[in-house]
This record gives sequence, C-alpha cells and structure tokens, in this order.
Amino acid sequence: MPAVLRIVFVAIFFVIFQTAPSRAEDTWQEIVATAQGQTVYFNGWGGSEVINEYIRWASAEAKTRYGIAVKHVKVSDIGDVVSRILAEKRAGRTSGGSVDLLWINGENFQAMKTNGLLLPPYTQRFPNFQLVDFENKPSTRYDFTVEVDNQESPWGMAQLVFIYDSGVVADPPQSIPELLDFCKRNSGRFTYPAPPDFYGTTFIKQALLELTADREPLYRPVDLERFQDITRPLWDFLDELHPYLWRSGRLQPKSAPEMKRLLGDREIFISLSFNPAEASNAITTGELPDTVRTYVHRDGTIGNTHFVAIPFNASAPEAAMVFANFLLSPEAQARKSDPTVWGDPTVLSMAKLSIEERRLFENLPRGIATLTAEQLGTVILEPHPSWVSAVEKEWLNRYAR
Amino acid sequence: MSGSSRLNLFPLVTQTAFLLPILVGLIFTAAPALGYLSVAGHRGFSLDPLRTLFAHPSLPGALRSTILSGAGAASASLALALWIAATVHGTRAWRVIEFSLAPLLSLPHAAFAIGFVFLISPSGWLMRAVSPSLSGFTYPPDWITAGDPWAISLTLTMILKETPFLLLMVFSGLNRLDVKRTVWIGRSLGYHRLRIWTRLLIPQLYPMLRLPLLAVLAYSLSVVDLAYIIGPSLPPTLSVLIDRWFNDPDIAYRMVGAAGAVLLFVLTLLFIALALLAEQLIKKAAAGRLLNGRRKSPFEPLAGTGSWYMMLVLLINTTSLLVLMIWSIARVWRFPDFLPSLLVISTWTDNWGRMIEPLGVSVAAALASCAISCVLVVGCLENELTLEYAKQPSIDRRSLWIVFMPLLIPQISFLFGIQVLLVFLHLDGTWLALIWIHMVFVLPYVFLTLASAYRSYDRRYSQVGLTLSWSPLKTFARIKLPILIKPILFSLAVGFSVSIAQYLPTLYVGNGRFATITTETVSLAAGSDRRIIAVYALSQVILPLLGYAAAIAIPFMMHRNRQMMRN
Repeated sequence: MPAVLRIVFVAIFFVIFQTAPSRAEDTWQEIVATAQGQTVYFNGWGGSEVINEYIRWASAEAKTRYGIAVKHVKVSDIGDVVSRILAEKRAGRTSGGSVDLLWINGENFQAMKTNGLLLPPYTQRFPNFQLVDFENKPSTRYDFTVEVDNQESPWGMAQLVFIYDSGVVADPPQSIPELLDFCKRNSGRFTYPAPPDFYGTTFIKQALLELTADREPLYRPVDLERFQDITRPLWDFLDELHPYLWRSGRLQPKSAPEMKRLLGDREIFISLSFNPAEASNAITTGELPDTVRTYVHRDGTIGNTHFVAIPFNASAPEAAMVFANFLLSPEAQARKSDPTVWGDPTVLSMAKLSIEERRLFENLPRGIATLTAEQLGTVILEPHPSWVSAVEKEWLNRYAR
Repeated sequence: MSGSSRLNLFPLVTQTAFLLPILVGLIFTAAPALGYLSVAGHRGFSLDPLRTLFAHPSLPGALRSTILSGAGAASASLALALWIAATVHGTRAWRVIEFSLAPLLSLPHAAFAIGFVFLISPSGWLMRAVSPSLSGFTYPPDWITAGDPWAISLTLTMILKETPFLLLMVFSGLNRLDVKRTVWIGRSLGYHRLRIWTRLLIPQLYPMLRLPLLAVLAYSLSVVDLAYIIGPSLPPTLSVLIDRWFNDPDIAYRMVGAAGAVLLFVLTLLFIALALLAEQLIKKAAAGRLLNGRRKSPFEPLAGTGSWYMMLVLLINTTSLLVLMIWSIARVWRFPDFLPSLLVISTWTDNWGRMIEPLGVSVAAALASCAISCVLVVGCLENELTLEYAKQPSIDRRSLWIVFMPLLIPQISFLFGIQVLLVFLHLDGTWLALIWIHMVFVLPYVFLTLASAYRSYDRRYSQVGLTLSWSPLKTFARIKLPILIKPILFSLAVGFSVSIAQYLPTLYVGNGRFATITTETVSLAAGSDRRIIAVYALSQVILPLLGYAAAIAIPFMMHRNRQMMRN
C-alpha cells in the first residue's frame, strides 16, 4: 500500500526533522534543571569595583532566575588560577575542581587549551550563543589568532584607547611617531606599564603593529630567525622614547590602574585603557577630572574579545554554562554596556536581536568622554600569542636589567 | 608521672603538624626546579630550569635589590630597636613607647605601605602640603621617590614596620632580666647608660632577640605584597619575579619559578648563616672590650636621638594611617589640594555590606588558629618547665626550633608544594586546611611573645596551690592562668593580627574560596580607586586593633580589685 507507506515516510521524516531541534532544546532544559541549586565559583580579576558590582548584579539575577549561587572569587592575576587548575590536574583531580568558570583570553586561553585544562566544546549549546556577532567581530572566533573552538564563551569587546587630560593637552598624538614627539615636548608626562603586565605588552604590540610595514608575519607563530629584523623599528622607537618617559623610564607603573591613578594625580597626561567607556565612567565616580577625554590612533588600535571559560574538572559545569549563557543574554549584555554601570562593549550582533532587545542598547547613555563606534575607527587584530612571550623576553632583556 | 608524659604529646603534635607538611611542601616545590613537572610532560631530571633562571636578564638586578632591602632592613631594624631601647629605657618616653607598640603592630604592612606611598610620592601628601605655595609646583615634579630602583623606599618601609616588632621582642626579653638592678649596679660603678647596655644588657638580651631577628631577615628577603606596592619595578625583587613566574600562563615558567623559589630558600639560609657568623665575630671582637672598664661612650652626645627616632617612626605610621582615613571619605582630591575638595561618607556606606562576609571569615580563621596555637604553646611550655624542674635533659627547647621554621623559610618556597599536597589529599579549600596554614604562621609568633613571660613565672605560686591539695589542673586554672593572663592575651592578640594579615597562604590553600578582608584588600589594591582601597585597608586595621584592645581590657577588668595585678 503505497499511500500508507508514503504517510509512514512522511511521518518518519517529520519525526526526524521536528524532534532534532526540540531535542537540543531538551538538552538545554536538562542542563538548566541540573544546574538548579549548584554553586558556581567564578574566578576573575577583582581590581575594579565597577566590574565587581556588575558581577554582583548578575549573580543575584542568576539566583532568582535559575536558583544558582554564584561566588565571585576575586583574584589579582588570573594566571594564578590557571596555575591552580594545573596543580589539580597534576594531582589527578578530574572532577570536583575548585574553579567552575574563569575570566580569560589570549595567552591564558592558549595555555589552558594546549594543556587540556578546558571542558570539551560546549558553547554551541548555549541558546544565546547564536546572537554573537561572529561575522563582524572576528576576535570572538579567534582569540589572539588561536581558534576558540567553542571552548570559551565571548563576554565583552575591548579596544585599546588612550585617555588624556584635555585641560592640559590641547591636541593629543594620533600615531606612535606623534606620541614620541609629544613625549619629547612634555618630558616625563607619559609612561606605560612594565611588561609582562597585560597593558604594557599591549602598548608594545600596538607600537610594533604601527611601525611594521608588513604585518603578515605577526599573525603567524613567531619566526625567531627573523624576529630581530621584524622588530628592529620597535626597539629603535622604544630606545628613543624611554629617556622621555615618566621618571626617565627608570621605573614604570605595574599596571593600567596605577596609570589611571597617576593621571588623576596629574603626574602623567596620557594613560591607556582597554575599555572605551572607562574615562566617562571615571568622571562619573570622581576618580578622574571631568576634563579627561579619549582618543585612538589614526590607523586604528588593537582590539580583542574577553571570554569566560569552564575548566575540564569544574564541580558545577551545568550551572557554569547557565551562568555563562545568562552573561550573553541581551539584557545582561546591555546592562554591561551602560557606561554608568561598566561600559564594556557587547559581543552581540544588533542584527540578530529583536526590536525590543535592540532598544535596550539604543537607549543607553553615552558618556561625555566616550568615542562613538565611528570615532573608534579601525580595530587591529591581536598578533599570534607566541609574539607576546618573544617580545616580552626581548623587552626584559633591554629595559629590565 | 603520667601527667608529664601526657604533656610530652604537645611538642610531638606541634612538631609533626609543622615539620612534615613543610618538608613535603619544600620537596614538592623543589622537584619542578629540577625539571620534574609531570603535567607539563616533564618527567626526567634536567638542569634547564636552573639554567633559564641564571640566564634571565632580570636576575642580577633582582638579587641586588633583594639582598640590599632584605639584609639592610633587618640589620637597620635591629640597630634602631637596640638604640631606642638603650637610650630611652627608664625615661618617661619608654612608657609612651610601650603603650604605642600595640597599635603600631596592628597596622598591617600592606595598609601601611599604601598610605606611605601616598605620603612620599611627588604627588603625595607631603608635596601637596607645600604646593604650590612653597614649592611652586602646580604639577607634581618628576622625581623618583616611592618604588625607586635602589629599593631604598622598600627598605625604609620594612624598617618602619620591623623596628616596632623588634622593640616588642626587646620588651618581652627585658621581662626576664633584672634590668633595674643591673642598671643600678652599673650606675653605681659610674658607667654611662649606653655602656651599661652594651656591656651588660645587650649580651644577655641578644640570645632572646636572635630568633625574631632571623624571622625579620627571612621575611624581608622574601616579602611579596610590600615589594609589589613599593618595591622597584625594573627589575623587581626576586620574590616578585618568582610570584610572576608561578603565575605565568606559559606552564614551563612554573619550573623557572620553582628554581627561583629554591634559590631564594638557599639565599635565606645563607643570610641566616651570615647573621649567626656575624654574631660570633662580634662576640669575639667584643670579648676583650667587655672588661676594659671604660665608663664613657663616644656616642653619648647622640643619646638624645633615640626618642627622636621613635617619634619619627610613630609619626610616619600615624600620618600614613591618617592619609588612609582622609582618602576613605574623599570624593575628589586632586594635586595640589592639601585636603579633598569634596568629602563623602558613601564609600563607607556603599562597601560596608560587602565587607561583612570577608571580615567574618577573617575573624573565624584567626580565632580558631589562635585558640589552637595557644593551647599547643602552653602545653609545650608546661612540658618544658616540668622536665626542667625534674632535672631531666630538656631537649625540647632545642627541637622547638622546628616550630619557628615557617618564619625562617620564604613562604613562596613551600606554598606551591603545599598546594599540590593539599589537592592530592582533597583538603584544598577546606576550613581545616585554612586554619592549619594560618596556625603554621600564628603559632611561632604566639610562642615568641609568650615564652619569656611564661618561663619567668614563679612556680612557688603554684606550689602554694598544690600544698592546699588542689589538683594540678585546678592550680593551673585558678592561680597560674590568672597571673599569666596578660602575656597570654597579648600573645593571642599578636597571633590574631598575624592571622588577619596572611595573604599568600590564604590564597594558595584556600583555593580562592575564602575571601578574607586581606585578600579582598590586596586584590582591590591592584585597582585604581584609592578611596575604596583606603576603606578596605582601614577595615583591615580595625580587627587587630580590637584584638589588642581586648588584650589590654580583659586583664584590667579581671583584676580590677587586685591592686598588685594591675601593673
């Protein structure tokens, strides 16, 4: 009976293609159900009260919506946490680990990935993962050129910006060579954090990218034989710059927050940040004078994405996933972008959001010292992470003896 | 007899609780230094980590500032403490010092350093006081002060914090000496006070200062948090380099860190040996002069400076504290304003709720570790005195050095190994581990501060109780304990403040699951907002201060109707 067969075929066809997505949905529902009552130990840098306050809000939301307790473990260096997870692996602890979720990117991600310290690919299961702007934000797929492979979940965007005091500096430099001229004219009023501080290394990478004619080799693993040739312009620049730095380059700040403090004290006139809204935020809190403004270089500045990741031995992987998914929700992302809250740019694509969701972002105030998306200009992608250690090593060799 | 054998358990328990884990911690840290780090795929032994360490461009500079600041701070603190004692003892200022030591010691190193940096920076409070009126500066000058490459500011910070500690040890040491009569005899023979100290008192006092001095030396050589706050940056000290290597995302650097930790350990042992050698040399050199009968001292004209030094120490400490207080209520405070242009209370009210939990964790860990330490220390001392009274060879006094090991070994040299051990035993992140690691550092200080007073107790008081046919326990509880309550509580207060200040141990053992007021403060200190840092740093000061206040108030209340007990 062909008619009956046909009906059977059609039925089978429907069963297969209808249940497939709903089964995926079920799996997520199961994850949410398992997550209830679990505790997530979320390890992340705790040096900013603005960010801590945002995480406190997200934790409270996770508690009421999903019944998950989130404990923010504030650390001063996330590398420390990577080291602890490594120690756990060394002691053979494959479950019941001390970290459920951690805030990382770049070399820390690469270290965790190559040492098998991450949960096997999982972010594709997050419902909100579909909303990420992979097309226009390539750094959500390649973290410092390393393929993300669904092993960490995008959280926010960062772009190197410079903060200056417009009450002192009339027109800020627009490129690395102009910065050198500025320093020669205003001796002792600029500096950068000493590598291996993250910001210090970023500043050096920015200089390298701007001063190198052919950037292509920087996006491949470092070729040690050509390293000296490629980086020659960078060292020439730094050799010339250092005598004109704050304290004649004999000491350098340990971190970007220390730079911000120096800017507030008027010891230096230009500081740097990875958060385009940081200047506006600092004006609101009274940390910096209301004359501070933001600028970027003419040919663009380095940008990247920061992520949250779940270790291979997390005690509550389900709750960690539910929380990471919540952090990706339009509501949480919009709140994060609010410069009066944190001001960290979203990883989501406006085109993928509903009209109501988009409105959450459109209605946000933009601080007086924040640049518009157009003003922020070109984003330069991070070089391959192997350049970080190579450049740092040479830098230490030259300036930290 | 059974009583004394039960007492024997105390030193046994105390020693095994400390010796074994620390040895294992050292070994587990040293293994990667020799190339053994199985998780990174290194299983053979190799000298590569050591080679990388010695080839590191920052090592010579780091060693230089480590040695200069460590040895410099320890020797200067000792000299200063002895000078102050010799010149001020017996005057009215001496009472002031005695009274001020507790609050001085309760100001944690990190909190003090944060205030001190702001005091001496070119944009700091001292400069603001004279700008622009006297100095003419509308912008801070580009001068090198805090964090100088020669580690002078780091050394100064440590001297300012360690001198009061050594003075406290001088106080407790003097308790055991008959100072009054020694001075009286010396005076009657026409010796100048400085001569009395150098000829008669210091030779008796020094054996009791030896251990605290070595602890100060080891601490100064290996301190991490202070070196981050006020140490040099290009390159930093060795301890900071090690910490950085342990935290490097490139896992191979953990082996270099381990090699550095071993080097720091060897360096510390070397300097301890040097200190002991120097002691012998000075003893030999001075032996002939002890009896030369010279009454006058060439340093007599300087005798007045002792109290000035002490005043300076006090003044800098209080000013640093004051600066923190002002920052905690400032909204906007820009150069060159002498005082904030806007004052608010909101930094306190916004953060108060968030500090309750870390404060609670701090108090719980400190109370537990202090209580257990105190019982163990009293037990050990009782055992020692019982053996001594029975004329049995008291080997315990010597072997108790083990208890002090944690103070003589750089923390960073064994904490990584201990972390591995705890993870292996599934004890990481537990209260048990946290309290234990705090005890490792609390107990030696309780011992140091209690021992001399405890040993000088006149056992005839207890004999009176025993002749009244009281049980030894009742005699202990009703007679000995009340008499010794003051030193016991004071040693507890010292232990309490030591526990509160623990940063690295809490972090390594607690898995980050225990947020104490100190871990919160140090993590915020990495941020930029001085106002919040000040609020947290002050809260960190409050707890030890309460501890010292209790140590003073409780005996006073207990003995309010005992005239003789109040002094």
